[in-house]
Amino acid sequence: MFDGAESVLERDDFCSLAPIGWLHHKMLDSFFLVVGTGSCQGFLQTALGVMIFARPRFATAMLDEDDLAGRDPLEALLPLVRTIAVEQAPRAIFLASTCTPEILKMNITGCAPPLEEATGIRIYPTRMDGFDASYTEGEDHVLESMIARAPRGDEAGLVILGCLSALEEAEIRIECQAMGVPAPAFLPAESALDLPVIGKNTVLVPVHPYLYKACSSAVRERGCRVPPLLFPYGPDGARAFYEGLAKAFGLSVSYEAREAEAWRACEAETAPLRGRSIAFYSDALLELPLARTLRAAGALVPFVSTPKVYRKFHAAESAKLEGVEILAAPDRFDVFDRLSQCRPDLVVANLNVANSLEGMGFNVKWSTELTFQPIRGFAGAATLFRMFSSALRRHVDLAAARGAAGSDEHPIDLGFFRLDRRERSAV
Amino acid sequence: MKLAVWSYQAPAHVGVSKAASSFSGIHTILRAPKGDGYGTIMLAMFERLGVSPPLTIAALTEANLAGAPADIGRAIAEVDRRCEPRAIVVTRSATAAVLQEPLDGEIAMMPRGSVRADIIQASAHPVRDTEFSAFGKTVRQIVDTYAEDGHRKTREPSVNLIGPSLLGFHDHSNIESLRRMFADLGIEVNAVVPLGASVDDLRTIGRAWLNVPTALELALPTLELLRERFETPFLSEPPYGELGTTLVLNEVAQILEIPRTRIAHAARDAKLSWYARTVDAHALSGKRVGVFGSPSAAAGVARVLHDELDMQIDFAGTYVTDSADWLRARVAPFTDRILATEDYRDVAAEIDARRPDIVFGTQMERHSASRFGVPCAVISSPAHVLNFPLGYAPFLGYDGANHLGDLVNQTQVLGLEHHLIEMFGPRDQGRFAEAAPEGTEEPAAPREAGDPVWDDAALKLLQRVPFFVRKKARTNIEGYARERNLERIDEATMLAAREHTGG
Repeated sequence: MFDGAESVLERDDFCSLAPIGWLHHKMLDSFFLVVGTGSCQGFLQTALGVMIFARPRFATAMLDEDDLAGRDPLEALLPLVRTIAVEQAPRAIFLASTCTPEILKMNITGCAPPLEEATGIRIYPTRMDGFDASYTEGEDHVLESMIARAPRGDEAGLVILGCLSALEEAEIRIECQAMGVPAPAFLPAESALDLPVIGKNTVLVPVHPYLYKACSSAVRERGCRVPPLLFPYGPDGARAFYEGLAKAFGLSVSYEAREAEAWRACEAETAPLRGRSIAFYSDALLELPLARTLRAAGALVPFVSTPKVYRKFHAAESAKLEGVEILAAPDRFDVFDRLSQCRPDLVVANLNVANSLEGMGFNVKWSTELTFQPIRGFAGAATLFRMFSSALRRHVDLAAARGAAGSDEHPIDLGFFRLDRRERSAV
Repeated sequence: MKLAVWSYQAPAHVGVSKAASSFSGIHTILRAPKGDGYGTIMLAMFERLGVSPPLTIAALTEANLAGAPADIGRAIAEVDRRCEPRAIVVTRSATAAVLQEPLDGEIAMMPRGSVRADIIQASAHPVRDTEFSAFGKTVRQIVDTYAEDGHRKTREPSVNLIGPSLLGFHDHSNIESLRRMFADLGIEVNAVVPLGASVDDLRTIGRAWLNVPTALELALPTLELLRERFETPFLSEPPYGELGTTLVLNEVAQILEIPRTRIAHAARDAKLSWYARTVDAHALSGKRVGVFGSPSAAAGVARVLHDELDMQIDFAGTYVTDSADWLRARVAPFTDRILATEDYRDVAAEIDARRPDIVFGTQMERHSASRFGVPCAVISSPAHVLNFPLGYAPFLGYDGANHLGDLVNQTQVLGLEHHLIEMFGPRDQGRFAEAAPEGTEEPAAPREAGDPVWDDAALKLLQRVPFFVRKKARTNIEGYARERNLERIDEATMLAAREHTGG
């Protein structure tokens, strides 16, 4: 199904609870109730800046010793869900199981129907654990749970799957109209109760490379069609995406001129990338399409490290990366070695190691930002490339200023903190 | 199950990781699902570490749920080979503890000599310990492992600083401040534990004459260990404020038998006492303040505000609930209103109900207080990225007292400025007008049935009250009117209320 290495060490990757950040922002009538430990709560607190909200629309149902000893989770959850219903009045609650309930084999999914009956609030049981799922795949699980509740029907339709900004949705809507493709429904929409019909005549199109499970369960359960498209990242991706979309509805449309126009429009951002080498040590599962479009823009990509590669789901993207080494979930130290060998102009790296790599003398673009910027479609291309070109530009500018001052290139003073390796300190 | 949104303390494994990774040459391996590994990001981001953090997650995967062995030995061997630490501390998260993997057995089965680092299994409990208790136990355990008996005391008087760590609250500045202070006193700093202490430093930790905590709740287990093993006395609290530091140093001088004249030398740049006598600080007298934080910070700062700045402590509190009595005893001379809670909403409710003039709290209180228009200075962990300043911002020692004075200054409208605003009014200009929060327009209608109604002239006058005291003025005036069963509030009512409530 997917390739991922057998490393026993850290895969530098967040917990799959992270998408609660953008999903609750998108679905304004939703609440996310995470069933887990203090560690889940600590992660949400650290990652989502809870302090700025007077009343955040997410919370952790913290497991206590009774729960660990086998108390019925329904009995424990009911009063909490009632409190949320009164205090926040959401129209839907996503009830997220995490690592510990999975270890305890707690039946969280089974709690959903009685909770829904007792409170009158739609409950989507979902799983957002930090075991094997890459952090963006939390969204995959949430969408899978929504698809399970989507109405059935035989009418032909187009469903765009994946959380998008209003700007990105607008482009897809306008292009569909221009092509004569049915008006798309978006999942998720602004309401967590707004679910499109999904049936055997539905064309389901994922916009993110991390929606494998939702797509495969829709195909399995509803018999809908998922055309093998490139993801709409960069002008080349957008063109293939729209042309493939038209083809799925039996239409032949050429976006050749449109693609050329888009490349011209973002020339200022792609010019600085030409001939520069950009390596990925990143964790969003966006790595394959990003590497593909960076190469199309003229950058060199020595290698791509990504948490996992779904052989079929990512086949179209992988095919476009011929000659590029793709590493699935390598261990951190292997990547460090590889980076030291090839010394790329820019490393796209996750937050675990971004500062460390800067300290080691690499130029870094932190990767997490890419998951919440509107970078899809033709209109998003300039934003996408600017993420990389501005990272390169700032490194050049800062180095020039340091050079002018005669300052060392990497003046890191570890005064307070020495790694103190054995050979250095052995008595 | 209990609903939780935000907590002051992190889970136990974070406490263990913070403690162990702070030592120099010690690497932590956390057995946990990768989702529990965000401590690495905090280390990398908050501390801006330019090296790979000495914390590695041995990832627990779904294969382990299905019975695959943890293979912790391989993770240990890999870290040993790649990072070459002197010691590896192995711990697990609560989630991993629930799985009950036999890590001890796996470690015992590792071939002798296959790993050069010492392997230490953290004794803190992943479920029952809190961040602070796990931190304290881990530091104690590591110190106990390496401290050697039989070293003589240093020739000159010396101290160990116990408690500062990576991700600690202003710890880098605190250490710098205390180092400068002890240098001025002619007292040597023997070891700083855990931040930066190497295994070699720990061997001779018993040489110090005295141990000084930077936070008692973190240092106590280690202080007690060192007293048991080496009969080293310790200070009962960290030095907060100028007078507080002098009091502590008087105790130090007595224990270490050094001349008291050196204290005056160390205090030569301390300015808080003098500041308290100057015009700008006059406005601070009698101001009602609420203080909330870690036990050490809350007790220390409350005493400074009361004794050194003549402020009135309305309430004091801590999120370490089992230290409530300790805090109560410390602040008893200033207040008997003690708040011990782990729920930030209780603290917000207290701020709302008491409406102190200033709150001294954590980053969370800064947010809570701002909702009620109450200014807040941040004086306690949990540390936030803003608590890792590039510059020097200590809270302990004489330099810490100066910094605390600046913090009060920045939070409060100063004496002369206060009158200038009164005289000329902020109206539509200046920094206070710009800073006015949204929704400050005043409704005339009663908020609840039976509440008095404001007439137009009174409402207009109320608008002239500076926004940052307007809410309080309104509450006072309405309370005055209600007490006297007045249905309408006019200008005269306002003036009478001022006369009677002093608002």
